[in-house]
Amino acid sequence: MLKVEKLSVSYGSVRALTEVDLEVRGDGTLHGVIGPNGAGKSTLLDAVCGRRRPTTGTVRYRDQDITRRSVAWRRRQGMARSFQRTSVFQDLTVYEQLHLVAQHLGDDRLDDVIAVMDLAGYLDQKAGRIAYGVQRRVDVALALIGRPHLLLMDEPGAGLSAAETLRLFEHLRDLVRERKIAAVVVEHDVDAVFACCGTVTVLDLGRHLATGTPQEIRADHRVVAAYLGTAA
Amino acid sequence: MIALLIANSLALAALLIMLASGLALIYGLRDVINFGHGAIYMLGAYLGYTVALVGGFWLALVVVPVLLAVLGIAFEYLALRPLQSRSHIEVALVTLGLGIILGQIIIFFYGGAARSVDAPQILSGSITVLNLSYPVYRIFLIVMGLGSCALLALWLGFTPSGLYVRAVSQDPSVARMMGINADRLSLLVTSLSAAFAGVAGVLAGPYLSIDPGMDVTMIVNCLIIVVIGGTGSIGGAIVAALLFGLVQVAGSVFLPSIAALVPYILLMVVLLIAPRGIGRGRVLN
Amino acid sequence: MNNRTTTTTAAGARPAAIGSFGGPSLRLPLTLGFVAIVFVAGAVAPSYFAGDFMLRLANEGLLLGMLALSVAFLMNQAGLVALGAASIYGGAGLLFAIAMSEWNMTPTGALCASFLIIVVYATVLGALIVRTNPLAFMMLTLAAGEMISHGVMLEGLRDYTGGADGLVVNFKGSIFGMEAADFASPARFWLVAWVGAWLAGLALWAVGRSRLGAILRAVRENEERMRFSGFDTYLPRLIAYVLVNIVAAIAGLLHVLNAGFVSPESLGLSISTNTLVAALMGGIAGSVGPIVGGLIFSFAQDEFGARGLTQLLTGIVIVVFIVVFPRGVVGGLWSAARLRARVGRRETS
Repeated sequence: MLKVEKLSVSYGSVRALTEVDLEVRGDGTLHGVIGPNGAGKSTLLDAVCGRRRPTTGTVRYRDQDITRRSVAWRRRQGMARSFQRTSVFQDLTVYEQLHLVAQHLGDDRLDDVIAVMDLAGYLDQKAGRIAYGVQRRVDVALALIGRPHLLLMDEPGAGLSAAETLRLFEHLRDLVRERKIAAVVVEHDVDAVFACCGTVTVLDLGRHLATGTPQEIRADHRVVAAYLGTAA
Repeated sequence: MIALLIANSLALAALLIMLASGLALIYGLRDVINFGHGAIYMLGAYLGYTVALVGGFWLALVVVPVLLAVLGIAFEYLALRPLQSRSHIEVALVTLGLGIILGQIIIFFYGGAARSVDAPQILSGSITVLNLSYPVYRIFLIVMGLGSCALLALWLGFTPSGLYVRAVSQDPSVARMMGINADRLSLLVTSLSAAFAGVAGVLAGPYLSIDPGMDVTMIVNCLIIVVIGGTGSIGGAIVAALLFGLVQVAGSVFLPSIAALVPYILLMVVLLIAPRGIGRGRVLN
Repeated sequence: MNNRTTTTTAAGARPAAIGSFGGPSLRLPLTLGFVAIVFVAGAVAPSYFAGDFMLRLANEGLLLGMLALSVAFLMNQAGLVALGAASIYGGAGLLFAIAMSEWNMTPTGALCASFLIIVVYATVLGALIVRTNPLAFMMLTLAAGEMISHGVMLEGLRDYTGGADGLVVNFKGSIFGMEAADFASPARFWLVAWVGAWLAGLALWAVGRSRLGAILRAVRENEERMRFSGFDTYLPRLIAYVLVNIVAAIAGLLHVLNAGFVSPESLGLSISTNTLVAALMGGIAGSVGPIVGGLIFSFAQDEFGARGLTQLLTGIVIVVFIVVFPRGVVGGLWSAARLRARVGRRETS
């Protein structure tokens, strides 16, 4: 589904990502991406979804090289992204914004998305007026419209409690399994990631550190060192 | 011939740099375009005329910037601070309205006729350098322009406030967490911007004419420069001002029939080739 | 109540229930009836009750209102402020005058030619500047307006454009059966201007309620998220820009047909700022506000005579209306009515 090869991204003289490889299969499991602060996780998502132009490297999506494609094109091809800092339409009602995107992407099963993200009770309220946790769900819902093939989620648990994050992750895990979507989730809450993700990739200081099952990663001493190292 | 061209462009660019950098600074810091900047410049020119009548050119060069700095402070407290919560477009429109009001007040007091100011004795006449005769006043302008560039570069490059301004201009979301007193800095930038507009206005007196339309002409020039330079990029604004000066002067020499349109052609060409502008600014969405 | 067809434009939306007038099934026909009465009354009555002078002011007001409508629509839907409206308004008129005198076209031919040239210009300019952020857009429209203003005054083009003296329209023939005298007559022109204003208002209102309107408003709100939702955010704004310039061009053509003359002032910055003032005064939401604003401006300008005072008041109005009355006169009345009705409903339930 997604193959990232030797991806490097620089901001001026700062190297945010250095030759990162990533492979995500469309097998219906969550692929978590973790790492200490400054590891380049968000930058990785930015490069994959087209928000940032990589300095070198390629992004292949469904066997096609999409490195130069626009953000809007990628979305129409089924690569959807949700945001770390919630990005919704404050002045539109929840229904209005979901419907607008659904119409554009030709999704006639909006009710499914509404049900999955539990938004039925908020449809007529303006997004700017609902609780933050609900806004997060709208943000994720916008990414789910149009039956995407690849979901890129940037810290979906940001601003939520540990319990809420875990619940969200469980929701995502079930959703992804049901619909056979590929999903890459960048997240700080390591527990939720280990609990719900089938594969975990660890980044550190812009480099790929390790990839494996949660058990393998938990036991990998380099990962432990990376986290402890930054805390020291 | 080329030397004259370059010298004339530098003289014009000197004024433009003083004005455009003030505009770019405010935009970089506050995301606000002061559409009344041309009117402030015009006020500087007219006040300079009056003060020069009474106490001479040099007195005007000292007094007017101070007066305008005070106006800048008033502008910051009475207009920019209260409207901080409003959208950038609304603030820009308010500055437009204020600029119109200021322009009309000036015309009310001074009437619609054009004025001219004489350069002081020391600066009038020409000197001969390398077989070329050149007006002393324009050399003075070039020196003033270079001086203000140098001051600006020093401030931006070597002081904490300058560093902050540079950072915010390039990436507001990141830099605003740096914890410097943003309000005080904004006050400084606004009053400096007005003061420099005042200097430019006084300097413009003996060089260009002082007339009621100068606020519109100058604000349009400044806006073109700021856009070409990449809004928010101060370095870009300086380069753009130099380019603008060159193009304007060359246009009046080589294409006199369309000289007035040349700056706009420059703008359109730049928009076509480099929509982001020259510097690393924030023109595009 | 699950109200899934709401949009955000004010004018033309279902009005709040006034007292206890019938049930929901009666509201739509009542509104339509009311609107029709206003349309017919407005078309016919002024010619009976008002003298030529008043009608002339009203005609100017309607045309300025149409121009204000174009500016208001773009501001309200796309969040873009166009400060060069006069270049389109005056430019269309100038092109018409040139077409009639220099190119010897028939009136209808001249109309079509000037209209087409303006549309091409708006498309090309829009293509260049619509991509920028709203502040840059504002600056660029100001620059473009001044460019046209200066271009018209160029020595080389003086034969074409009449330079500072302006150009008289050499009107020979008729358009849709109307002759020069018909267009110049205040009473007969009122009909034309009234119908024109209504058509423009309805057209833009319809666009506002359409999908394009929804997309524009969403792009205005969060352009990045729209791109991330698969939308092309450039084309809708370009289309909106061309549409409003079409309305502005029509207003400009009507103006030159009525005035029989075009001067460099009609392309100048003060017309652009007057337009902005009219839009702000009337209220930029919906179609009724800007047109009312145009009428208010026209009559107010007559009251405040001397040109210097008009400009000063322009600046003052811009500041006051943005800071204190952002909804303008019509918008303010509309909100007050809605508030009263909501309170009334709460009390009766």
